[in-house]
Amino acid sequence: MSNIEAAEVAAGPETERKDYGPAPSKAEPSRAGWGTRTVLALLCALWLIPVLGTLITSFRSESVANSSGWWRVLGNPAFTLTNYSTAWTDGQMGSAFLNSFAITLPAVFIPILVAAFAAYAFTFMQFPGRNFLFLLVVGLLVVPNYVAFGPVLNLYGKVGLGGQIPAVWLAHIGFGMSLAIYILRNYMATLPMTVIESAKIDGATHFQTFFRLVLPMSVPALASFAIFQFLWVWNDLFVALVFVGPGDNAPVTVGLNNLVGQQGNGWNFLSAGSFISMIVPLGIFLGMQRFFVRGLTAGAVKG
Amino acid sequence: MKRSLRGRFALGLSAVLAAASLAACGGGGSGSDSNTVTIWSSVDAPVQAGLEKALVAKAKADGIKINWQSVKDINTLIMTKIAANDTPDIAFIPQPGVVKDIVSRGKAFSLDGVVDQANLDSLIPGVTDAGSVDGKLYGLLVSANVKGLVFYPKQAWDKAGYQVPDSIDALNSLTDQIKSDGTTPWCVGIGSDAATGWPATDWLETLIAKYGGTQGYNDWVSHKTPFSSDLVKQAAAEFSKLVLTDGNVYGGRSSIASTAFGTAGNPMFKNPPGCMLFNQGSFITGAGFFPDNIIKNIDQNVGVFGFPPATAGGDNPVEGGGDMAVMMNDSANVKKIMNYLSATDIGNDAAPTSSFISPHTDFDTSLYPNEITKNAAQVAYDSTAFLFDGSDQMPGAVGAGTFWTEMTNWITGDEDINTALQKIDDSWPSS
Amino acid sequence: MKLLSALLYVVVGIGAGVAVYWILNKIAELLPNKAEERVKPFLYILPAYLAISIYLIYPTIVTVFRSFQHQAGAEWQSVGLRNYTELLQSSDFRDALFNTVLWIIIVPALTVALGLAVATLADRLRPTSENLAKTVIFLPMAVSMVGASTVWKFVYAYNASPDSKDQVGLLNAVKTAVGGDPTPWLQNDTFHLNSLLLMVILLWSQVGYSMVLLSAAVKGVPVDTLEAARIDGASDRQIFFQVVVPQIKGTLVTVFVTVLISVMKIFDVVYVTTGGQFNTNVIGNAFFKMFNTNFDYGKSYAIVVMLMIAIIPVMIFQVRHFKQEEANL
Repeated sequence: MSNIEAAEVAAGPETERKDYGPAPSKAEPSRAGWGTRTVLALLCALWLIPVLGTLITSFRSESVANSSGWWRVLGNPAFTLTNYSTAWTDGQMGSAFLNSFAITLPAVFIPILVAAFAAYAFTFMQFPGRNFLFLLVVGLLVVPNYVAFGPVLNLYGKVGLGGQIPAVWLAHIGFGMSLAIYILRNYMATLPMTVIESAKIDGATHFQTFFRLVLPMSVPALASFAIFQFLWVWNDLFVALVFVGPGDNAPVTVGLNNLVGQQGNGWNFLSAGSFISMIVPLGIFLGMQRFFVRGLTAGAVKG
Repeated sequence: MKRSLRGRFALGLSAVLAAASLAACGGGGSGSDSNTVTIWSSVDAPVQAGLEKALVAKAKADGIKINWQSVKDINTLIMTKIAANDTPDIAFIPQPGVVKDIVSRGKAFSLDGVVDQANLDSLIPGVTDAGSVDGKLYGLLVSANVKGLVFYPKQAWDKAGYQVPDSIDALNSLTDQIKSDGTTPWCVGIGSDAATGWPATDWLETLIAKYGGTQGYNDWVSHKTPFSSDLVKQAAAEFSKLVLTDGNVYGGRSSIASTAFGTAGNPMFKNPPGCMLFNQGSFITGAGFFPDNIIKNIDQNVGVFGFPPATAGGDNPVEGGGDMAVMMNDSANVKKIMNYLSATDIGNDAAPTSSFISPHTDFDTSLYPNEITKNAAQVAYDSTAFLFDGSDQMPGAVGAGTFWTEMTNWITGDEDINTALQKIDDSWPSS
Repeated sequence: MKLLSALLYVVVGIGAGVAVYWILNKIAELLPNKAEERVKPFLYILPAYLAISIYLIYPTIVTVFRSFQHQAGAEWQSVGLRNYTELLQSSDFRDALFNTVLWIIIVPALTVALGLAVATLADRLRPTSENLAKTVIFLPMAVSMVGASTVWKFVYAYNASPDSKDQVGLLNAVKTAVGGDPTPWLQNDTFHLNSLLLMVILLWSQVGYSMVLLSAAVKGVPVDTLEAARIDGASDRQIFFQVVVPQIKGTLVTVFVTVLISVMKIFDVVYVTTGGQFNTNVIGNAFFKMFNTNFDYGKSYAIVVMLMIAIIPVMIFQVRHFKQEEANL
């Protein structure tokens, strides 16, 4: 499931404000009545229970987890850290984390760069065929990325790229390009044309306008897309499995997947491993919270 | 402006240089170093550890390094990797059908002349058949598992004084006797998430092997004999009699498809036992299936006997599976390693610490960690032929597709047996 | 060494990306002015189009082409419409089609509704509680699908024993504790219960996305419009439906459409739990099995082509919507 569904920012003109980061509208805090609080608390509890269950299970041995539900842990605390330690060593997590970063970071930054340039061109430059080319990009959203596995693998095989880390992030770049361009272009279209015009009058080239004006103003959309793209690539199993496969270059997802034995035993390592792997995306999300709130509010959304 | 220009130029240049150095460092997946042999396998971690230890010791003298990777979905992955030109030197393939596919793509090398004949001769008869294509050997069985084993809770069994049956008829009588003694005879579970149904195929294959013998079995596997034939229907009828009869299976017929196969046998160890008989493969004695406290003293808690032949003392082939080493690179070093893998003693380190079973009849059985593994292995060594798991030899559409799903549909009662068998036949790919 | 190599990959990757643009720009600058203006836009979109061509356009062409073929051994033969007719005649495939439609009808609407509900309700809380609630709802997005399947295994697990103590799955433990018999949830397809349960997993995993986007949209509604409505004496509900919703319609539509498209392609939720058995199969999963298990590539491509054709109406709607927005600007 593609999580590249990133920050679709605004489809509407900005409100007249002096700065480009509007104050978010907020109903008075006192509006949070007990009804609201209860409903939210209930939802959060429902959301958390499965995670809690898995967390507890990751500290129990496979045999215990198979025979008694995790809610019985209070009566039978058979805590063990072996799931985590085995997942770390057998899954070669140290090296797998490095691989995951090596795969994810370029796969996040490069599409942003490339898509931003293209989006800029589609928004601010006039050229023949502009609408058609853009619609083609949008149209390609219908293509599921698993379609590409076969033909691209063949290509990689001929070029000798198979099994190398660039194989994966190049693939992620290709797969995410359509949505990235679509989203960034829509966001850029909401930027005030007047500012761009005046820069042009002042003699700035497109390159300068792009780097010094448009890009900084688009940071909210870029950041939001980056976060979702990071999540998608970090948690991806199939693209990595197919293009890089197991071995020295395996990222965390592939390493964890291999912990499960031929007969499906050893899934307890998977539960522990999932939590180990979860730390990074969670950290990114928590750390970038402010981008989310502020970023996506730039430009009031109008129907 | 000038400064940023230079900055960008420097960045670009360093990028190119870095790329070149990266290439020189050789950041690759499959053995870029000609003295390293890459092996991929999906065997369980303890088995791999044991085999690797023995292999590394042997290869040391030749100065060969071993890079052994655990690859979970090797059956599907290997085909993708062939397309990507990114294959290991040796691949352990658990499905003969996939071995055939690799050979048909021209990516496997024949083992004739590569491995010592003596090593091949010590294999259980029939082992080399599954790995051969057009008479040439491509897949060498290194690690085996035995199927068609019946496990029972030793203490309850001995207390009740049951005897190991020597024929299928005797097994029927034993089932009835257990039932009349007030215990549910069988535990059966075929649930396996996306692969639900495969244990039922093992049941059927065992029965077909016992009733049809080696020839009848092989004809069925190669589809010379269709699923709708009398042989298969006879096997299905026997399964139905033993397991689907009311009151014969723990949890009732309706629970079979939803009970996870790995823990399906655990009610055996309840007090009083939930059931007395559990048909599964030898892997079930490894960690993660039977409860830990049972495994700790496994020889006192669990007993095993081979599924009996159709007639007492008659033809008794055993069904089994395993991982076959396929040579995908014919360099001199890889050939040496293949030969080491074919030796009987390659399993000496793996046997005591894992569920490893050697396919060599001259293996030192004292190395097995417990009686139950020894007995399971002995079932194979005593058999008249080792027949590789049928569904693993069939084309994927059937062996990992309709065979599983139609068996499940039949067992849950959604379909009658004739419809199910016909559907499997219809799904056999025409080319 | 590994660390160094990983760092190098990142630096080289990103550095190369920047370098490419810099070079392209230099090339454009070398040309005489008039030509430069004309060529530049194309240079700007060139890398993007290169990526799209290799990874999306080329595979699509191959897919459509090969969907009319069949691979026997190592050779491809043309078989006309045979792949398509065989698929459409197969009841299993038709079931998968129907199931996919079910997913499409239920999931996107629920995702948007739930996301909006959480966004609106959380908006009323104090900032710290709001952040907490939103983080909790977002949490499942940090879990990979394989991890999610392990997580939900402990909710849906089944054990034949009627004793609650033997149950490992939460639902069955509750059911047996109140005296019922355990149910094999994922194998029960009466009224498509198992498909619905799988949809729950996807919802759990994806509502975070719609919540984040809709929360931003909700926060972007100008306070004055809310206050004006309140002064006029409108109730909370009226304010929500008549003031807030119309102003976030753009985001609502976009979130809905993007979720819709991704649900149509969905396969990994089904693949890692039931593999499509027990009438849970969907098109994406049907493709995967045809490709990876049956190795019938021609047919698998036919499946994808049909899927793409089915998504086209959605795309047309989205393009029209975009054009409308364009006109409003």
